[in-house]
Amino acid sequence: MRRHRLLAAAGLVLAAAAARAGDDARLRAVDPAELTYTYAVGGFAPEYTPPAPGSYTLPPIDTVADHALLDADGRPTTLFALTQGRLAVVAFVYTTCIEATGCPLSLAVLHRLDRIIAADAELARRVVLVTISFDPERDTPARMAVMRAFHAPASDWRFATTRSEAELQPLLADFDQPVAKLRFADGAWTGLFRHVLKVFLLDGQSQVRNVYSVGLLDATLVLTDLRTLLLESAAHRRKG
Amino acid sequence: MTRLVSSRFIARAALAAVLLVPAAARADETCMSPYMPKITGQEDYVYVVTLGIEGVGDGSDKLVTIGANPADAARYGKVISSVSLGGRHEVHHAGFGDDRRHLWVGGLDDSMMWVFDVAPDPARPKLVRTIDSFAKDSGGVVGPHTFFALPGRMLITGLSNAKDHAGKTALVEYNNEGKFIQTVWLPEHAEYGYDARVQPRLNRMLTSSFTGWNNYMTELGKVMNDPEAAKHFGNTMVVWDFHARKPIQTLEVKGAPLEIRWALQPRHNYAFTTAALTSKIWLIEQQDDGTFKASAVADVANPMDVPLPADVSLSADDRFLFVDTFMDGTCRVYDVSDPHTPKLVHTEKIGAQVNMVSETWDGKRVYFTSSLLSKWDKTGKDNEQFLKAYGWDGTRLTPLFAVDFLKEKLGRPHIMHFGQERFYKNQIYAGEAGGLAAAR
Repeated sequence: MRRHRLLAAAGLVLAAAAARAGDDARLRAVDPAELTYTYAVGGFAPEYTPPAPGSYTLPPIDTVADHALLDADGRPTTLFALTQGRLAVVAFVYTTCIEATGCPLSLAVLHRLDRIIAADAELARRVVLVTISFDPERDTPARMAVMRAFHAPASDWRFATTRSEAELQPLLADFDQPVAKLRFADGAWTGLFRHVLKVFLLDGQSQVRNVYSVGLLDATLVLTDLRTLLLESAAHRRKG
Repeated sequence: MTRLVSSRFIARAALAAVLLVPAAARADETCMSPYMPKITGQEDYVYVVTLGIEGVGDGSDKLVTIGANPADAARYGKVISSVSLGGRHEVHHAGFGDDRRHLWVGGLDDSMMWVFDVAPDPARPKLVRTIDSFAKDSGGVVGPHTFFALPGRMLITGLSNAKDHAGKTALVEYNNEGKFIQTVWLPEHAEYGYDARVQPRLNRMLTSSFTGWNNYMTELGKVMNDPEAAKHFGNTMVVWDFHARKPIQTLEVKGAPLEIRWALQPRHNYAFTTAALTSKIWLIEQQDDGTFKASAVADVANPMDVPLPADVSLSADDRFLFVDTFMDGTCRVYDVSDPHTPKLVHTEKIGAQVNMVSETWDGKRVYFTSSLLSKWDKTGKDNEQFLKAYGWDGTRLTPLFAVDFLKEKLGRPHIMHFGQERFYKNQIYAGEAGGLAAAR
């Protein structure tokens, strides 16, 4: 039954994607490699064991502000209302993304993190995962709810969107998350976005402590960083 | 049917992502950060960081944009625009940030840094930020050299320090908005710096070593004839745990190892560099136990002539290594299919002096510039200053166009980066032809 629900949810998402992105015959005439960014030769598959948690530091890169959001149930909320001073892994996606090194990768990594965090009492208490759409026009709360159902979070994994472009743009600018509509030569939107995959690690003070992109985004590495920040927090408590 | 095809396409793409199946990659532009998207296909522009010369034009350092798409015949091989930086700062290297929109440029003399926004009009990069606090921010590092994009930040190697202007230096990080993050000094006994390159799948970073401000801002002849000055060059490379930013191994690589090029193909756990003063190609290779070993695998020309290998470029298939030697103005192409035994397969005289080499992502074009450092360039008639474009067919280099930077009253051209209209305008086309015209 659970498998059937997952397949149904996946079908909804994919059908919606097809209705938008695939209906334009022109898209099929384009070399698929033109639709996505190329970063390196081949994909990224880590062949290393990360350094031990706490054996290194994660100096703050930036600080982000609070921003208005809509949760997957359509209720107004904010970024800080979702994170509540916890460590947060924040990812920006759009649900019809077809870029192998983009949103599907981000969601796959957060899915794995979700299962590991749920099985660890301290991580489950101290960490929240947040997936935010940068496509408010199509990624309605209902669509985000489908995505949530598809992933069936075991930990506190929130799905959110924004009301409008006007609400979205300051959020993207604050996080330094570049996103642009990919257009045909005549200016018509392809239904796809160009974006550099980024996932952000926030500490309890909303400081960005790491940014993961293609070549760095790996669940084991993110977990190592989360545990490093937990050790840092414990050390501060002992000093304080 | 359309919907069915699209659904299958999307499902396949999603599955590929989840399984981490390698994305198709078509070729080169190999020395750029793997964390930054590449420009594929035909480049429209070459951005050239250019040192000012007193009495030539306005005498100031510049970022010069050259037309490079033969489909745009009116601008092909022509100067399209230049932005003056107001003074001579010994500009040298540059690098795009993680979105490939902002190009950072550094001055080796006074440690000034400039950030250009290329996206709004790729033919005319716009200066959007100037950072004049590098030495202060970093706690005394000077000579910002390599700009290597990391997610959310820029990694910058220093060449020297403010205390004694010798070779002790550090790695410095800024965020994309130009806010200082941290300084990591190179380890004792390997304190010189030059290049830094990361191999993400190994979590390893390599750094190389050159010389300090006292030497690179002094005439080359004086440096070479001063036994004391000649002692102050780097002879080491450092292997780092990249994520921890911790040095884990120091390798002896004699004679100022400069540019670092990691192999790109899967399972190729090695990198190349060339040592400027000993004129050797070095292979830095991971061993079975995970440590790295440095081996000199070939001489470049006759080392006794001090040909001074400067920049190198490795093709995306890890087959060809292009090596520029400054003194004889020559590019030598080695077949490095077997990285332990490079074979010289082509030699091309580029000019009286040559320094930087930039290969395109598709491996079909190779660009060269002439200037090394303002005080190390040749003088008199040998002080040619040019950008030259060549085609590469796998066996020989064929001239495409050349721009005389003295005749154009621009200065000494050094590092090159590529720009493309459709990349920055987020546009796609059914085919390569006509892309530039459609974008403009």
